[in-house]
Amino acid sequence: MSHSDGNRPRTVDLPILAGDSSDMSRRRFLEAAGFTFSLVALNGCSRPNHELALPFTDQPEGQIPGRTQTYASTCSGCSAGCGLLVGVRDGRPLKMEGMPEHPLSKGGLCAIGQALPLGLYDRHRLQHPLQSGKQSDWKQVDQAITKELESIGNSGGAVRFVTSTITSPTLQASINSFLTRFKDARQITLDSVSTSAILDAHEQTHGTRLLPHYLLDQASVIVSFGADFLGTWISPVEFTSAWRTRRVPTEEHPEMSFHAQFEGQMSLTGSNADRRYRLAADEYGAVLNLLYSQLAERAGESEHGDTHGDSPIPAAELSALVDKLWHARGQSLILCDSQDVAVQVLVNAINHLLGNYGKTLDIVKPSLQRQGNDRDVLNLIDELQAGKVSALFVAGTDLTHNLPNRDKLKKAISKVRLVVSFSEREDDFATLAHFVCPDHHPLESWLDAEPISGVVSLYQPLLEPLGETRSILESLGTWSGRKDSAYDILRSSWEKNILPRSKSTSFRNFWDQSVHDGLVEVAPVKSEAGEFNADAVTPIPESKTPSDYCLTLYSRIGLTDSRHAQNPWLQELPDPVTKVTWDNYVCLSKAIAEKLDLVEGDVVRVSTADDETSLELPALIQRGQHDRVISIALGFGVKGTDRFANIGPKWFEGKPTVQPGELVGKNAAPLIDASNGAFQMNRSDVTLTKTGKHRDLASTQEYHSLEMPANVAPHGGEVRDIVQETTLSAFSKDPEAGKPEQHVHGDPQIWPEDHPKEVHNWGMVIDLNACTGCSACLIACQSENNVPVVGKDEVLRQREMHWIRLDRYYGGEDDDVQVSHQPMMCQHCDNAPCETVCPVLATVHSDEGLNEQVYNRCVGTRYCANNCPYKVRRFNWFDYPHEDSLVNLALNPDVTVRSRGVMEKCSMCVQRIEEARIDSKRRGEPLADGDIKTACQQSCPAQAIVFGDLNDSQSAIHATKENPRRYGVLEEFNFQQSVSYLRVVKNRDDHSQDGGEHV
Amino acid sequence: MHRIIVTVILLVGLGYSLVVLAFGMSDWRPPGDQQGYSPEQPITYSHRLHAGELGIDCKFCHSAAEHGKYAGIPSTDVCMKCHKYVTSSFDLLQEEIEKADKEKRKPKTIISAELQTLYDTLGLVDPKSPEPGADAKSIPWVRVHNLPDFVTFDHSAHIVAGVTCQKCHGPVESMERVRQFESLSMGWCVNCHREATENGIDGHPVNASLNCTVCHH
Repeated sequence: MSHSDGNRPRTVDLPILAGDSSDMSRRRFLEAAGFTFSLVALNGCSRPNHELALPFTDQPEGQIPGRTQTYASTCSGCSAGCGLLVGVRDGRPLKMEGMPEHPLSKGGLCAIGQALPLGLYDRHRLQHPLQSGKQSDWKQVDQAITKELESIGNSGGAVRFVTSTITSPTLQASINSFLTRFKDARQITLDSVSTSAILDAHEQTHGTRLLPHYLLDQASVIVSFGADFLGTWISPVEFTSAWRTRRVPTEEHPEMSFHAQFEGQMSLTGSNADRRYRLAADEYGAVLNLLYSQLAERAGESEHGDTHGDSPIPAAELSALVDKLWHARGQSLILCDSQDVAVQVLVNAINHLLGNYGKTLDIVKPSLQRQGNDRDVLNLIDELQAGKVSALFVAGTDLTHNLPNRDKLKKAISKVRLVVSFSEREDDFATLAHFVCPDHHPLESWLDAEPISGVVSLYQPLLEPLGETRSILESLGTWSGRKDSAYDILRSSWEKNILPRSKSTSFRNFWDQSVHDGLVEVAPVKSEAGEFNADAVTPIPESKTPSDYCLTLYSRIGLTDSRHAQNPWLQELPDPVTKVTWDNYVCLSKAIAEKLDLVEGDVVRVSTADDETSLELPALIQRGQHDRVISIALGFGVKGTDRFANIGPKWFEGKPTVQPGELVGKNAAPLIDASNGAFQMNRSDVTLTKTGKHRDLASTQEYHSLEMPANVAPHGGEVRDIVQETTLSAFSKDPEAGKPEQHVHGDPQIWPEDHPKEVHNWGMVIDLNACTGCSACLIACQSENNVPVVGKDEVLRQREMHWIRLDRYYGGEDDDVQVSHQPMMCQHCDNAPCETVCPVLATVHSDEGLNEQVYNRCVGTRYCANNCPYKVRRFNWFDYPHEDSLVNLALNPDVTVRSRGVMEKCSMCVQRIEEARIDSKRRGEPLADGDIKTACQQSCPAQAIVFGDLNDSQSAIHATKENPRRYGVLEEFNFQQSVSYLRVVKNRDDHSQDGGEHV
Repeated sequence: MHRIIVTVILLVGLGYSLVVLAFGMSDWRPPGDQQGYSPEQPITYSHRLHAGELGIDCKFCHSAAEHGKYAGIPSTDVCMKCHKYVTSSFDLLQEEIEKADKEKRKPKTIISAELQTLYDTLGLVDPKSPEPGADAKSIPWVRVHNLPDFVTFDHSAHIVAGVTCQKCHGPVESMERVRQFESLSMGWCVNCHREATENGIDGHPVNASLNCTVCHH
């Protein structure tokens, strides 16, 4: 029997209540019982956890529990080969840092390098070899492959070995010796983002296929045609570091390089240029033609005549640029990312005309960072389609993902008798392979790299391999009948090949020193570059009437190609320009959006003229985008990224990051145009149609605005000088140019001056003129401070957790958009508005100038976040998932993993401060300037961040106190921040608007 | 009637709880406070014997304490530095030697039960020669002093400042089985920091910071 009335919940037929009309409802019963039994539960409080402490049986020498040991290695994120210092803690690599002694990267490390640990501790990495897609073991796989190879070798079948650019001399030698066994064997190098045309052009102009080593630190005028050298092009960390050396004007030397960028889409490099011209990729040739002919005229070699063709750039500006280049002969540099060999030949001709070879372009010690040869790849595809290949090996690239015409290619590959992949994951190509022989993660194995001829570095294993993987060196050796370990192969290769190039005589010392340092500089391999061959230069034919659209495929910062798509840190890294996470999209100009009646997020279909390939992606309206250019990022739509469906917190309104059956973004590689002997990243034969669908893009820029909201701003709006800018001409006249006239609300003082800071006073200065917005600091911080990944849905709800936000501001008009980047994190105000409002003293001030956040006191009122003028506080809305014990190995044990309901924010890496302080006590020496480097500062490729003790008159940060460019964001409110910025100086003559709008 | 049954059930429940609680009450303390915790260990290792009677310095075995955050549990090879030779108590060894003398035979190796456990975990039959192929395992010591994960305590910083081991760990040299002597609560830490800054340690002035982030980050 049951009854119900309006007020009370319905009761249930408990046997003991049946037939009784008492008030003892189930609820009452549970209340009473709950109270009674909770007392028993309370009893449990007293019992400590029974936790084991398992010591070593044999303590490794020199290992101290809890202390970080640093090993030198090489970054494996791309083929640039930056120097790496790996912090290893109790046997697990935790933190990747740049190696300050490295001649190329000079201590910088990009976001990809910072994110390596997450690639290492990844359950989705293959744990054992595969045979026909099924788990196998090495013995079986080796037997089967050896047998096949023997029979292919005897029958004289063709063996093709496809690799991405290999900078490792040892691996190259291993592949060579592996291939010599076969009569018809060839290695083919495929770069997913290729610079094949530059190498081909040098073959024509200098007689040998090479990529020059660009020396940006030697260039006072840099003109780049589409080359995103600060973002993703060839060796961005090295280029950023070199570019930065000429971007710091001082009072004594108000000089800096001039950087002009011609590009169709807004790249990171374009956003940092002094002058950016909107130019579609199919117009590069026309402008380069004009540049060449005008410069040739100056040089007195004006046989090319035509000096004033139709130019997409105003003639006056072009001739001003020619002036600048001519005056900077031998100190200028033209860069171009075109895949059109004729265009690259013209670029070489201009660089030659300006006398840049040997000055800003080094071809004696050329770069080996990109060796891709698209013509070879195209030949291979023909061979595959003709069924002429018997064995296909693929290492370091996902062949079918990164090339167009995937279906045809797949069919062609099915004709091959033996297909072997060395992929560490089951990628798209691996599913076609008969055997997958997973290589170690680079942090688990020995290898070497020679990114620039003469700079040789080592990779060293930092932990035992986590799975049954095997070094590619050992795999190739085994199949050739040798049993050497990777270490032995590497050592003997160094003894044979590298030692003779050095000045050392004893191999033992040479090797030990090289392993310790991580790198060694030796004599370069003799370059075969000849004299410049002027006959190769032909003017670019007049372009046809411009098409409606010009599609540009680009690589996105942090992902570049498909290799890192399974790394959630990099997927959630906001693109430095568009600020979008977890997706790729079609960037287009406002004009196109108006023409097609699109709003941001409207899905458009991009299809080739023959309508064979099409792609549906949401549109993103980008400032500064050329009106004909639509651009799409590569490296998305990678097999396996559906794993991120449930990456965020699980709650009843939560939406998956990836919809069922979908992947993160879509693969744009099918739109690559394989024509003209190269993979063209630009094509004009595309159409764009609106589909009527909509897909929200998770961008991080539309909120956390520092601008005054329109509804509370005074009449006419208020301009806040958040990013202060000036021009070089103004700066040279008045070093304080660009400083706004403002009233500082300091008198009367509403805060008591009660922060004595007698011993230390930690502070930070960020040089906005050096900062490019590359976002390496953001991932460095994430890795150091256990910042969780929240997933697309949470980003859409404005709940991303990054402690550093890279703010991006636009100024100027579309033709000449000026972009500023500003890293924004807790400013550690002395007069902190957050501290004032915290009801539980969870955020307090230390006597060393830090604004401390005490997680265990925080009750989550979020008043502090509301009151923070910089919007840098992050609230833990959830317990973010930490169930995967393997990923948890990447957590920094020095930093608390925050739980639900507490606020967090930048701590200025206080754990590093404490570590350094204790270390100095152990050594018995006082803390010196530079002993403490915050995570963001350590890896900044532009060295834009200075951290130190403002009380120490000898410190680098103390010196910046006098810098005329120094200012504080919103300093007019007298928050007395510990973080300040150095004003942006653009090398321009005109006065640009200060600040910018937050779009 | 039913009401009576329910009341009786609840009263019995309450009574049971109180009884259980009363037993538990004897070592009840607020959550996290483990003062007096003294779990049984896999080997009845005596600090009284080693550190007290034999006077071995704490840092001889806990050598990491001077160099890093954790004092560390000594690795088994540290034990074996002595126990390769010392297989039993002196008295038992002496007795065997005398007995063997009487019986005119070579003395047998006497291995005490505790040391046998050590050799077993290391996979040794004879302490002087490792048995090939046997797996050496860690001794599963039970952790006594266990601070929560949101606290960092650095042993080396305190040792450098002149804080004795006993200040936090109590008279371990007199303990047969280690027990947590102090409460290790935050208030206890803070009091010591205050006191140290005020009075110095052994006459040396120190600046024991009271900033939250010194321990919590």
